[in-house]
Amino acid sequence: MTDNPLLWQTRHFVYAHIAETTRPPRVDETAAHFRISIEEASQLYTELNNRHSFFLEPDTVAIRMANPFSGIPTDFKVHANGKTYFANCAWDMLGIPAALHCDAVIDAVFTESNESVQLEVKDGKVTNGDLLVHFPLAFSHWYDDLVFT
Amino acid sequence: MLLFRSEEWVDKWCKRHNLERGEMLSIQQVWELSKLWYGNRMSLEYHGRSMEQVAEIFRQAGLMSKFWYV
Repeated sequence: MTDNPLLWQTRHFVYAHIAETTRPPRVDETAAHFRISIEEASQLYTELNNRHSFFLEPDTVAIRMANPFSGIPTDFKVHANGKTYFANCAWDMLGIPAALHCDAVIDAVFTESNESVQLEVKDGKVTNGDLLVHFPLAFSHWYDDLVFT
Repeated sequence: MLLFRSEEWVDKWCKRHNLERGEMLSIQQVWELSKLWYGNRMSLEYHGRSMEQVAEIFRQAGLMSKFWYV
């Protein structure tokens, strides 16, 4: 699998698909794009999951996270380039405009107080600089349980 | 990583979950980290990064405490 030239093209296709459509491609869509079998595309998805390029739902080939993008709705909505993306967490909500190199308006929800808040990334700067992001786990434990992280 | 209005709310959350406080960064710090971490994520050339590259990103972002050891 190391030398499969489609491996990194698949990763790139997944990210480009999310940027364009706001959702990760299903494995059959990736198979159709590269004109390969669903089994081959599934193997590529599994390998990319193993390499932490993106993360699949357990025991499936459905992409749950292609950081900073989330494959499922979350409390972190990022409006950018005329589209609305879901981010995995408070870090990733800023990761989306960083990855896309664009301005963004972010609708988020505070943890614990459950209040809504809106932030903006504009011209390379972020508003609401006094807000806090809590990293509960040290880096060495980030991949122990990604959903909790 | 969770978004909080203030440290008071972080402490409430930690107490409710019986967890120690982790590391708190301002939104501005997280934005600077995001640009370093995700700036090349859409590129075909991005194939992940080594632990040395991760450590360098944390260093550039000013995250030097034990919490960020790779």
